[in-house]
Amino acid sequence: MFDRFAWSVALRNLRYNLGKTLLMMGVVAVSVTLIIFLGALIGGLQRRLIASVTGAIPHVVVRQPERVPLSVADAAAAPDGPLYAGERIRLERQKRKIEDWPFWLARLQRFDPDVAAVSPVVEGQGFMSRGARRQGVAVVGVIPERHNAVVDIQSKLVTGRFFGLNAGEVALGYKLADEFSLRLGDKIRLVSIEGNAGTYTVAGIFDSGFAAVDGGTIYLTLRDGQTLFGVGTAVTSIGLKLGDIFGADAMARRLALQVPYETRSWMEDNQSLLSGLRAQSQSSNLIVGFTILGAGFGIASMLIMSVMSQLREIGILKAMGANRRQITAVFAVEGMLLSLLGGAAGAVQGSALCLWLAGFRTTASATGRLVETFPVDLGPALILGSIAIAVGIGFLASLYPAWRAARINPIDVIRGA
Amino acid sequence: MDAGPVVELRAVNKVYGNGVPTPVLFDIDLAVAKGEFVSIVGASGSGKTTLLNLMGLLDSPTSGRILLNGEDTARLDEDARARLRLQYLGFIFQFHYLLPQFSVLENVLIPRRIMGRQAEREQRERAVELLERVGLGNRLHYRPGQISGGQQQRVAVVRAFINEPALVLADEPTGNLDSANSKAVFALMREISRTLGTAFILVSHDEALASQADRIVPLVDGRIVH
Repeated sequence: MFDRFAWSVALRNLRYNLGKTLLMMGVVAVSVTLIIFLGALIGGLQRRLIASVTGAIPHVVVRQPERVPLSVADAAAAPDGPLYAGERIRLERQKRKIEDWPFWLARLQRFDPDVAAVSPVVEGQGFMSRGARRQGVAVVGVIPERHNAVVDIQSKLVTGRFFGLNAGEVALGYKLADEFSLRLGDKIRLVSIEGNAGTYTVAGIFDSGFAAVDGGTIYLTLRDGQTLFGVGTAVTSIGLKLGDIFGADAMARRLALQVPYETRSWMEDNQSLLSGLRAQSQSSNLIVGFTILGAGFGIASMLIMSVMSQLREIGILKAMGANRRQITAVFAVEGMLLSLLGGAAGAVQGSALCLWLAGFRTTASATGRLVETFPVDLGPALILGSIAIAVGIGFLASLYPAWRAARINPIDVIRGA
Repeated sequence: MDAGPVVELRAVNKVYGNGVPTPVLFDIDLAVAKGEFVSIVGASGSGKTTLLNLMGLLDSPTSGRILLNGEDTARLDEDARARLRLQYLGFIFQFHYLLPQFSVLENVLIPRRIMGRQAEREQRERAVELLERVGLGNRLHYRPGQISGGQQQRVAVVRAFINEPALVLADEPTGNLDSANSKAVFALMREISRTLGTAFILVSHDEALASQADRIVPLVDGRIVH
């Protein structure tokens, strides 16, 4: 392949047919541009979609499995067994909780290097009220400094504090605050489903970017949560953040073998989103695939034309002693150079297009924060990968023309000119 | 190199075609010595070109043996034959077949380039010298398309000799030229092969040219007539 003779002939051919060379480079460049553009855009969109799903929830949640009490019908079917209706009710109403959470917290943290953070959580439904207004909310009791490593609230604060939340203080979303016209220092009342109640001071207001959180979630301290939901010193779940969010399913399965609780990954709860993303990737791969195929056929047909128009010259080269490998190399080098140069041009073009798109900003939500209009994931892997694909296609496309050239028999083409 | 013949054919037969076999050459015995200038003459269809192709290792005999510099070529594969051609043989055809994308000088050096970079460097000066000798010293960097037909064929002649081959095979080398150019090109081939001590085999219709050879081999219906 590094035969100087083959390289010089290939380079001369490309230069001699400059028009055709530029045309084919253009075709390759367009397909590489498309690969990069689609890859970056779809990658960015998927990143944004996934972030919008996983941004406000732990990647894996460890909690007590749901208890399904026997139905009366099932119980009656059991032979001669007594039916304890009272016990059944007590089971149903009992809060699912983890008593020995400090032990498991430490174990989970050490379980795998991919576990980035763990946070104990007391979670439940409640009612928030102020004056005559009442609204159902999700109440989350956490250790703010710990929980922030799992779900980031601190950097999303519009005003007030999240870190250093004291007993009797809450942080809530800006939509909820707007609806109740709350400001820092205002008092609200919370009643849990269990019937416990308390009065709290608003110490922080945040804009997480997730509507459900901003309009209906209240954070308070772990201790206040435990009191409000009457779980004593227990927590209701432990949240985990992972380095690789797509490893959540596998991690949850492995954890399930280690902890005596249920482990659930965000992926289980978002199957339809994930299958949608897969379908999107596949359709973009299909488009890219056909474009590459088109470029490949273009290169192949140009090289075949080049072989056919030079039958006699190739014949005399072979008569003079050029071997099959050298003749093959001429066209393989031509194909790969065409696609390498075209691919490089396409990479520049595609990257420029992506950078241009990435510059657009739109105002998001009520807080006036600017976010990118087109999320774009442009990395060296994508750029180099698409050039590598182009070169591979150029090489494959050159195989038939090169083989055809190498088997030219000088005596067939030289006589009878 | 030993003192034996440059190329030797022993009882060579050539039959073309699979379905209906068409014999072309019958029991050819021929040896060409180092530095000898031989012309093969015969009517068209007498098998001249086939004979030349066999000696040039471009084709294989149906039976018989061909020895190049004493080496039997019967069992060699295509690439081994290519290597022998590169090393020992030069070709001149009716048409020049110069590569249009290379200059006159580069075209002459193509056989050296096939051998490798070092080989090309070594012969560069000699290539210039030879081109000057054939009157193309001021056309070194022209493209083949920019010079006349006679000049193109002279470039092809120089190219055939650039590897200092043991044997040059020429198939109607002047067939496409007017008589003045024919004479000039013939004189050139004669002169260079004499200077370099190259054996030369010429196939030509032009009896005036053919008759100037050291030895004339008449071919009639695939047989050498003595």
